[in-house]
Amino acid sequence: MVVTAEFRPSAVTLQEFNDAPEPARQPGRLRPQSPWAYLIAPLILLGAISVYPLIELVRLAFSDVGPTNLIGTWQWVGFANLAAALRDPTLWQAARVTLVLTAILLVSDLLIGFLVASVLVSRSRTNTALMALMTFVWALPPLVSGSVWKFLLQANGPVNGLLGIVGVKPVNWLATPNLALLSVGLVTSWAALPFATLVLRGGMLSVPRDTLEAAEVDGARYWQIQLRVVLPQMKATVSILAVLAVLYSFQSFNFIFALTSGGPGTATNNIPFLAYQQAFANFQLSSGGAIALLAMLVIVALAVPYALIARREEHQ
Amino acid sequence: MSRRTGAGAPPRSISVVVKIVLTVLYVIPLVWIILEALKSAPEALSAPDAVLFSPTLATLRSVIGEAGASVLLSLKVTVAASGAVILFGLPASYALARRTTPWWSRVVSVILILLLFLQMVPQPMTVIPLYGMLAQWHLLGSLTGLIIADTALVLPFSVLLLRPFVLAIPETLYESAALDGAGGFQIFLRIVVPLMRNGLATVASIVFILVWGEFIYASNFITEGSTYPVSALLAQQIGTYSTGWNTLMALALLTSIPLLVIFVFAQRRLTAGLTIGAIK
Repeated sequence: MVVTAEFRPSAVTLQEFNDAPEPARQPGRLRPQSPWAYLIAPLILLGAISVYPLIELVRLAFSDVGPTNLIGTWQWVGFANLAAALRDPTLWQAARVTLVLTAILLVSDLLIGFLVASVLVSRSRTNTALMALMTFVWALPPLVSGSVWKFLLQANGPVNGLLGIVGVKPVNWLATPNLALLSVGLVTSWAALPFATLVLRGGMLSVPRDTLEAAEVDGARYWQIQLRVVLPQMKATVSILAVLAVLYSFQSFNFIFALTSGGPGTATNNIPFLAYQQAFANFQLSSGGAIALLAMLVIVALAVPYALIARREEHQ
Repeated sequence: MSRRTGAGAPPRSISVVVKIVLTVLYVIPLVWIILEALKSAPEALSAPDAVLFSPTLATLRSVIGEAGASVLLSLKVTVAASGAVILFGLPASYALARRTTPWWSRVVSVILILLLFLQMVPQPMTVIPLYGMLAQWHLLGSLTGLIIADTALVLPFSVLLLRPFVLAIPETLYESAALDGAGGFQIFLRIVVPLMRNGLATVASIVFILVWGEFIYASNFITEGSTYPVSALLAQQIGTYSTGWNTLMALALLTSIPLLVIFVFAQRRLTAGLTIGAIK
């Protein structure tokens, strides 16, 4: 990386070219710019629409804002909202739901994802077709896949219909508290598996070929090679996928919205959904903001390892 | 590519079982969307799990009539957000791929970490402050407000995804352009932009998928009663008990068709792009 940098046209050489009097100094020719020229406008935009909302979130969490004073002055209330949120048992119930969903997603992304990627890694026609099918499902709007599962899992829906053929009595997938949580977790996993497979498969394909051949000469069997040779070389991929899986469990919001609306009761209410409900169903923006801010702490904690791994990867 | 032949293949029995299970899990929901969309209202109500029925296009026709305007609106929002991402994201990724001075490299690392963090913030968290922000800017309920929010959603990750494509442009091209007397901006316009076609197509298709499917902003930042983008319409219908499964699935089918078109064109780029996005 350092070596190639020497071959890049430095600002100085470009400067010399433009300042040289002889090679036709056309009017309107632009002087070599510092990279800032390309970055200023995007940075201002990002600051205004991506960074500023996060500052607003902090301000919201420390103020008393409802529908009446949303446009106007926000009364600063200090830690009152955060303290109230932390005292509320629904937050801890939502934290439990978030943890369960995260655990389901981690297991399915990493274990099932690794199994599926190991099976689909070679380029046969069926594998390519299956990858295409799964990627298409990943690309579907979350509400499309959410609503079709709501249909499939309803009391008189096809899943129960199928179970009925085998003689199993109808199961209330979305109306029994623990089962509803499991259903949301499984549907989220189903939606996340294509992405996990893509990422893990990409990681497997980048494992150098000669290590694999050396392993096979030793007579190691496929799963042993996968676990002892391939997996250890995919540490970066697996760790990033783990971070993404935790993040994605926040996105199970989409499926909670489609399948259960947090119910029955509060059985499937995770932290993002709770924050959203507070802000947009109960119109307590400050209270929702306080819960969202608490969840942001988790994101910050995840961002650190993510950034470190991503940087190390790039420097290789 | 036969690079895996060296390590053999998984045992056939496991491989076959996994593939059958995957096919069932990922084909059947898609089939049911189409089946339900072809049922009439009484049929969908009396026997939602029936596979044999007399198909009708009536449901689909009425949904297209009702949601046609929403589809057009969604297209408008998606195109505007993609445009903004290209207009701002492309120069940004170019700047962040330059290695001019050690000091600049440090700036780049800081901005990359900021972008990484911004793309991690989940939408249900950002919707709350954005609501307040758009209200203060008097953009709540307008299409502009929604486009701004969607741009904010996809811009950080788009820049991160475009940057490796800039890095892949060989240095010699810049050098020879400079030797030919091209100025900095000409180099960007004549060398970088044309070579970024692949990267831009990848990013545009992912932006399309995300903005098209996003419903949290779409259902909160557009005034109730006016035309909703199609994803917000779907969100609204899911919550309405009177909506029959046939109508809901017909709407889901209508929402999915533009994605099918994008997917057919961009499938290969998509698989490559998603992997870059996760790792780099």
